[in-house]
Amino acid sequence: MADLVTITVDGVAMQGKAGEVLIKVAEDNGNFIPRFCWHPRMKPVGMCRMCLVEVVGPRGRMLVPSCTTTINEGMEVDTQSAVVKKAQEGVLEYLLINHPLDCPVCDKGGECPLQDHTVAYGPGESRFVEEKRHFEKPIPISELVLLDRERCILCARCTRFSDEISGDPLIEFKDRGNAVQVITFPGEPFSSYFSGNTVQICPVGALTAKPYRFKARPWDLEAVESVSMVDSIGSKVSVQSSQNEVVRIDGIDNDATNHGWLSDKDRFVFESIHSADRITTPLIKEEGQFREATWGEALDLVAERLTSFPGAQVAGLGGANSTNEEAYTFGKFLRTIVVTPHIDAQLDDGLDPQFLVGVTPRAAIPDLETAKTILLWAADLKEEYPVLYLRVRRAAAELGANLIVVHPRATGLDDVATHKVRYRPGTGPEVLRELTGDDADYTEIREALAAGPVVGIVGRTGLGEDPRLAEAVAAFVRDFSEGKIMPLARRGNVVGALDMGLAPTLLPGRVSESAAHDVLESEWGPLPEGLGRNATSILEGLRDGELRALIMLGTDPVRDHAEPELAAAGLDGAEFVVAMDQFITDSVAAADVVFPVAGFAEVEGTVTNIEGRVQKVNRLVPSPGQTRATWSVLDDLARRMDGNLGATAAAAIAKEITGVAPAYHGVTWDALDWGDGREGLLLPLAEGVQHLEYIPVDGQLASVDARYGLHLGRVLYDDGVRVRMSPSLAALRPEGAVFLNAAALDALGLAPGSPAVVEGASGRVELPVAVDNSLGDGTVYVPANLESTRSLGAAVAVTVSPGGDA
Amino acid sequence: MKPATLSEAEMDAISDWSESSQQLVRELLGKYPDKRSAVMPLLYVSMIENGYVTAEGMKSVAVLTGLTGAQVQSVASFYSMYKREELGKYLVSVCTSISCFLLGADDVLAAIEDETGVPDGETGHDGTFTVEHVECNGACGGAPVVLVNYEMVEGVTAEKARELVKWLRDGGPDVVGTEEMQQLFGGAKSFDWAVREPEGAVLPVPAFAPYGSARGVK
Amino acid sequence: MKILTERMEAHRTDSHTIERYEATGGYSALRKGFEIGPEAVTAEVKASNIRGRGGANFPAGVKWGFLAPARPAYLVINADESEPGTFKDRQLLERDPHQLVEGVVLSSYALGVNHAFIYIRGEYPKPARRVQHAVDEAYAKGYLGKDILGSGFDLDVTVHLGGGAYICGEESALLNSLEGRRGEPRIKPPFPAVEGLYSKPTIVNNVETISNVPWIVSNGGIAYASIGPDTSAGTRLISLSGHINKPGNYEIVMGMTWRDLIYDIGGGIPGGRELKAWIPGGSSAPWFVPAEHLDTPATIDDVNDLGSMMGSGAVIVMDETTDVVAAAHRIVRFYSHESCGQCTPCREGTTWLERIFNRLLNGQGRMADIDLLIDVSDGISPGLTWPPAMTTICPLGPSATAPVVSIMKYFRDEVEARVVSGIPVALEAADG
Ligand SMILES: Cc1cc2nc3c(=O)[nH]c(=O)nc-3n(C[C@H](O)[C@H](O)[C@H](O)COP(=O)(O)O)c2cc1C
Ligand code: SF4
Ligand code: SF4
Ligand code: FES
Ligand code: FES
Repeated sequence: MADLVTITVDGVAMQGKAGEVLIKVAEDNGNFIPRFCWHPRMKPVGMCRMCLVEVVGPRGRMLVPSCTTTINEGMEVDTQSAVVKKAQEGVLEYLLINHPLDCPVCDKGGECPLQDHTVAYGPGESRFVEEKRHFEKPIPISELVLLDRERCILCARCTRFSDEISGDPLIEFKDRGNAVQVITFPGEPFSSYFSGNTVQICPVGALTAKPYRFKARPWDLEAVESVSMVDSIGSKVSVQSSQNEVVRIDGIDNDATNHGWLSDKDRFVFESIHSADRITTPLIKEEGQFREATWGEALDLVAERLTSFPGAQVAGLGGANSTNEEAYTFGKFLRTIVVTPHIDAQLDDGLDPQFLVGVTPRAAIPDLETAKTILLWAADLKEEYPVLYLRVRRAAAELGANLIVVHPRATGLDDVATHKVRYRPGTGPEVLRELTGDDADYTEIREALAAGPVVGIVGRTGLGEDPRLAEAVAAFVRDFSEGKIMPLARRGNVVGALDMGLAPTLLPGRVSESAAHDVLESEWGPLPEGLGRNATSILEGLRDGELRALIMLGTDPVRDHAEPELAAAGLDGAEFVVAMDQFITDSVAAADVVFPVAGFAEVEGTVTNIEGRVQKVNRLVPSPGQTRATWSVLDDLARRMDGNLGATAAAAIAKEITGVAPAYHGVTWDALDWGDGREGLLLPLAEGVQHLEYIPVDGQLASVDARYGLHLGRVLYDDGVRVRMSPSLAALRPEGAVFLNAAALDALGLAPGSPAVVEGASGRVELPVAVDNSLGDGTVYVPANLESTRSLGAAVAVTVSPGGDA
Repeated sequence: MKPATLSEAEMDAISDWSESSQQLVRELLGKYPDKRSAVMPLLYVSMIENGYVTAEGMKSVAVLTGLTGAQVQSVASFYSMYKREELGKYLVSVCTSISCFLLGADDVLAAIEDETGVPDGETGHDGTFTVEHVECNGACGGAPVVLVNYEMVEGVTAEKARELVKWLRDGGPDVVGTEEMQQLFGGAKSFDWAVREPEGAVLPVPAFAPYGSARGVK
Repeated sequence: MKILTERMEAHRTDSHTIERYEATGGYSALRKGFEIGPEAVTAEVKASNIRGRGGANFPAGVKWGFLAPARPAYLVINADESEPGTFKDRQLLERDPHQLVEGVVLSSYALGVNHAFIYIRGEYPKPARRVQHAVDEAYAKGYLGKDILGSGFDLDVTVHLGGGAYICGEESALLNSLEGRRGEPRIKPPFPAVEGLYSKPTIVNNVETISNVPWIVSNGGIAYASIGPDTSAGTRLISLSGHINKPGNYEIVMGMTWRDLIYDIGGGIPGGRELKAWIPGGSSAPWFVPAEHLDTPATIDDVNDLGSMMGSGAVIVMDETTDVVAAAHRIVRFYSHESCGQCTPCREGTTWLERIFNRLLNGQGRMADIDLLIDVSDGISPGLTWPPAMTTICPLGPSATAPVVSIMKYFRDEVEARVVSGIPVALEAADG
């Protein structure tokens, strides 16, 4: 713990940590000093001069910026003196000289620090009689952000964010002195995955977000705290609505997860909530067409059909995008009402469920603050886990951690990595053996890893990567001093869903099926015997007629499973498919009955992030039309099937989880809403127990031998349904292409832009080729899950050949 | 300090630059512990190539220094000498700061504007002259001071300034030498220049051999 | 007594060449330095009491003592000379570049630096050519590069040309600029000696400061300290400009009065006109007027005590014909043009001042503008005290208030008359 330092501010003694700046210590102790440029998550620059205070020292009083002044023992500070007041008035008067004062038409009006400070600290009137500085009114600087330079007060928060935090300095100061402006470079728009953060931290209305522009006035907004469910990082957000419509999502600062930052996907995905394509009534398929149905009709039909199959011939997929309460109810429904063990929340695109929830020792995100060495052998974080990317970037760029990135191609973190290893997909096991052995190429990396604490971030680099490789890497990292592991899987609440037992090998509360079967029967009643099938095996079973019915909860295997053909065949082979969802995805389209269910911002519950941190998501708007909460649909269905789930309310389910699920003992909504859990509760708590302590092992995988290894990697804006249904994000989806290095293009006799065919055991695409010289010999990269690439399954060994007529 | 070797992408970025400029790029990148430091000299080289700082030039410098275009633009636009518009053959800069002002610099500027027909801050249609007023040039003892392509003449009067303009227009010297101009059009100097040197500017870019715009280089 | 300009005065045509430099004892200080060792070189510089010649007058030896132990460390020579009125470094660069180079090698050796930079303002191509040539010669002769004169000491020197921005004379802005960034001053602390170029310990010294080092090492710090008054030791270059008969650079021993400087050395005011005011240390300095200051000594401390500064040693003389409002405007305009734009008060305040002056000069002034000028100045430099308090990061903003305060203090009646008539008082006098 850092040393405490005592200072006196306006006569009040207060304590702060050594090294902290005055403005923060004062604020933490209830004395707010006005500011524009200072931001607690960025290095102070002392530019705006709004935060000037007087420090009383041996040589008299000195006017200093409180944002750049670190506290000293005994420091005496005056924030209220006449000199300070005058300086504050001066700064505000200077800032207003060139400010257009168009507050009535400004998005920021009503929540603008400039407006507020002017009222509180400003001069009465301006004495400036000259002409103001003029700029062209708002200009788009990216697809998402508009810039009004007349309103800008040149605090450099946006430029510093993009340079210091997100590492894509596309917006910068230009010119000098009074001509300074913030701007992009011609032909290089501010197309950062993080651009929305600059809108959020801009202290005036200079940066505005297209999806929010003119949507609401701040005083009309209602807001709740919640957690982004776009990925599994658990970023804390404020969801804001106007007239029952979500109009904005902002990040909320917290030490644990996102530091207040969000990706633009987290931020703007709210558009999908009010999409016109939402399903708002139950649907029943008749003669290949959906027709609207009443709830009673649809529920009766489903109950009747499901009862007609032996339980073990029914399977359930999904739940990783639901809350814990919904996932729990889904699992309980499947295991006790349908009585089937075939359950999977993942689509064979993640990691072994026991590894994912039970690995030990598990790293938490804040461990990145103290890690000396980080081994990242997983997806390109910038594309799949953007907020985690920011945290790792900070660790490497600001905190001096060694960062080792192992990946088939260049990643967003390469510029801050101390070591980069690139390899051809399929040869990962070989690379790992060289790393663990005494291969001279990796001596420096081994030395770096010797400096602990070490955090190993492991996961599948691409969809074709064998998940057992991540486990082997984890086994390697575990042996280093203070080695901890952060296994990655992507869907918003995947860990929560697995913790709720949505995997064949798991039961609720981070326990293995085999170990907890009997214990749970005493709570739930009889459970199906034997281990169920995982997603791939479920789809195979459906295709082959071994399984006959499928219940899907918010999942789209046709798009997301590694083998799209298998997924389609599975759905096709099923005799009866019921889907609970918000949109008619490719998979939902194959259903016989569809239940419209409420989603993000429409339901209350908990989610568990990748670290095992439980946080609360909250309800802000009513769900549209006849949509209902998932748990209540399942409860109704259970009754119609002569069972009883006891799911009367999300809060009641949460209580039940606390009692039934060992790792969730002590996790109460009270604690999350009001108590210690406001920044989330990292499991297991003192009251909880984690029975499953999964020790990863290196299964000595064999490498895949092939001329071309396919890297099927995700991009942030892919064809996932929520991106597709958010127009602002949908527009940002890239075109698909086949990427090879220049030498490979030459060898194949291809010119950039000409068609190439990639073909593997699970599919084929023909697309234009493009050059990516970060790819090694034999690596072919195709972005996953784009409209144009989805026919290519996730096989590693592929062939590449000229397409078209060539 | 060894010249840097350029990667393929870096060479691509300056493939249309002259060989001598490409060589300069290698040398300049070798002069600093961190390649970002070479931004300023590289911007001068880009001016030699393009006449002024163009978007393409900034992009090339960005590639060479590992920066974004926005970052290079941010640096370039901070400094007065990275001109962002096409310049005349002769950039005539008149100091109008305090010491020169006290000794009639405004008249010198007016005379030059009048004689060239080019207003302060602009470039004439025929591309011969760009006229600008500038702040102190470190020659206050020889005020008023005029620079032509950054080569200095001290102790200039309004009349001499007109003659200087005519000489440039009619003679159109390819190399602008400070000594020659001083002899022809100068007066009092800040200090004894002592000795003539042969070098001079061939472009409105400071004639500093390592950046290229001196006699004999381009 | 001449230290810096002795060689150039004695050898008009070739003082800048290595042949002449060597023939007149050049690089012998370096040999001596290598004999006595780095600590002894540092000790001589400390003993000399030489104060920096870049403007802040900070004792060089003390600054060197602050250099943090981390390595690499850097030495950066500030040759950005852009303060209106100042042109002394240009002469040193052009006329005796080897003196600087030898100073750089000695200082680097003393400081444990293996890479030094000479940052020359962009508008100085000729001085840069001379310095680069000298550096090339020094490499060729083994005074730079690896194992200099068999001492085992290595040094590289990079000559860097600025891009036209006065603020890069401020040392931390200079370092940013040298790193390929905008020349924006940094927040201090940390000072460059602890975290400077590339965040490494860095000493920034002025051209003139370092040009003295060979003499100090040759002759001993004590000998240097014994020249001139205790707190203004040594000789220094004074740049005289403006309304003066003999403008130019003069190497003087400090301690003479302003009258001596302006009338004896500078030869007085042209046409026998009256002296109206002068700026004692570069355009940033508050003005002096004959009635109060003519017979006070021109030393660092005396000038400071009287509310101004010797700064960079630039003396700008204004005679009775001077329109002080226009002169003040010219100086304010300079700072407004050269503001880096980081701090609100400097960015907005200096421009506002300039625009108020524009109105005054256009005959559109109002009486209220006089208080407004003072108040806007006060917002940049609270209390308008000396030394100036600042609401800004660096002293550039407050510098813009010096002329405002000066004309209000000594010539308020002229300013008021200007508001009323819209015509410069000096012109009125000429007409009337
Ligand atoms: C606005 C501003 C401009 C400055 N310009 C110069 C300059 O042109 N040359 C210089 O040597 N020092 C200049 N300085 C002083 C430098 O910051 C620094 O103090 C000096 O270079 C240190 O060298 P010295 O200790 O040898 O004087 C300037 C300072 C300020 C605040
Ligand atoms: S756009 Fe906003 S955040 Fe960026 S500098 Fe201007 S006021 Fe600050
Ligand atoms: S005072 Fe002026 S020049 Fe100095 S840092 Fe602030 S804005 Fe820049
Ligand atoms: S908040 Fe401290 S200077 Fe801006
Ligand atoms: S004022 Fe013109 S050169 Fe200094």
